[in-house]
Amino acid sequence: MLEHDAHVTAATPAAPAAEQIRPLGEAMAAFVAAGIGSLALGVLVLLHAADAYSAPALHAGAGGISGRTTFAVIAWLVSWAVLHRRWRVRDNGWRTAEAVTLALVVLSLLATLPLLWEVF
Amino acid sequence: MLFSERSIWTMLHGIGFGGGAMLALIAVLAAVYLLGREATHVPSVREARFVTQLTSLAASLIWLTTLVGTYAVFPLYRAAPPEGVTDLAAYPRTLILSAPETAWLHSFAMESKEHVPWIAAMLVTAVAHVSWRYGRKVIVDSRLRRASVALLAVAFLLVSYVSLLGVFVNKVAPVE
Repeated sequence: MLEHDAHVTAATPAAPAAEQIRPLGEAMAAFVAAGIGSLALGVLVLLHAADAYSAPALHAGAGGISGRTTFAVIAWLVSWAVLHRRWRVRDNGWRTAEAVTLALVVLSLLATLPLLWEVF
Repeated sequence: MLFSERSIWTMLHGIGFGGGAMLALIAVLAAVYLLGREATHVPSVREARFVTQLTSLAASLIWLTTLVGTYAVFPLYRAAPPEGVTDLAAYPRTLILSAPETAWLHSFAMESKEHVPWIAAMLVTAVAHVSWRYGRKVIVDSRLRRASVALLAVAFLLVSYVSLLGVFVNKVAPVE
C-alpha cells in the first residue's frame, strides 16, 4: 500500500488526514526543481549556441546532447533533493513557488528555441 | 525483412512511446478535469490512485521516448557519411542539410526535438511525484490541481509540438 493510502479508506468522506496535513512544501519542491532542471538545460543549450561552453559528449553516438541533458538532469535531481529537504515541512509561499516554476519553464523554453540562438 | 532495425527503433520512439505518452497525458488531463469539476465531489481512493497511475505511466512513456530518441534514434540520424558516398538516404542529417529548402528541418526542428522533450519529462515526473504523495488532495485542493493541470498541459503541448516536428523530419529523411 502506498504511503498516502495508509490513512485512506473508501468510506472516508473527505480528504484523509495524512493528505490534509501534509504541507505543500513537497509539491513546491518538486515543481520548482523541475523548473530549475529545465532552466539548467536551457542555459547549457544557450551557452552551446553561443560557443561559450559545450558540455562534453558522454555518448559518442549522441554527441554533445548527452552531456547537456545529463548535466541538466543532475541539476534537477540535486535541486529537488535540496529543496525537498528544506521545504518539506513548509506550507506557505505557494503562490511564489508557482510563479517561479512558471517563470523558469518559460525561460527554459525560450532558451531552447533555435530562433533565439541567432541573437547570441 | 519488412522493417529494418533502424525503422523499428524509430517507430518505437515516435509511435509506441511518443504516441503512448500523448494518449496518457490527455487521459490524465481529462481524468483530473472530470474528477475536479464539482467542488462538492470528493474522489474515491480508487479514482485518485487511477490518476496517480496514469500520471506515472505518462512520465515513464515520456522518459522512454526521450531516452530512446536521444541514445538510439538520434545517433542514427546524425551519423556522418563516409568519404565519397553520394546516396545520402542512410544519413538523414546530411541529407536534410544538403538542400537549402530542407535545412530548417535540422536547424529548427531537430534542434528543438533534441532538448524540449527533456523539459516535458521533468515536468510530468514532478506531477507524478506530487500525485503519488498527495493522493486525493491533488484533485480536491485547487492550488495543487491548478499547478498540476498547468504543467501537464504544457507537457502535452510540448510533446505534441516535437511529435509534429518529428513527422516533418521523418517525411523528408526517414531513419530506416
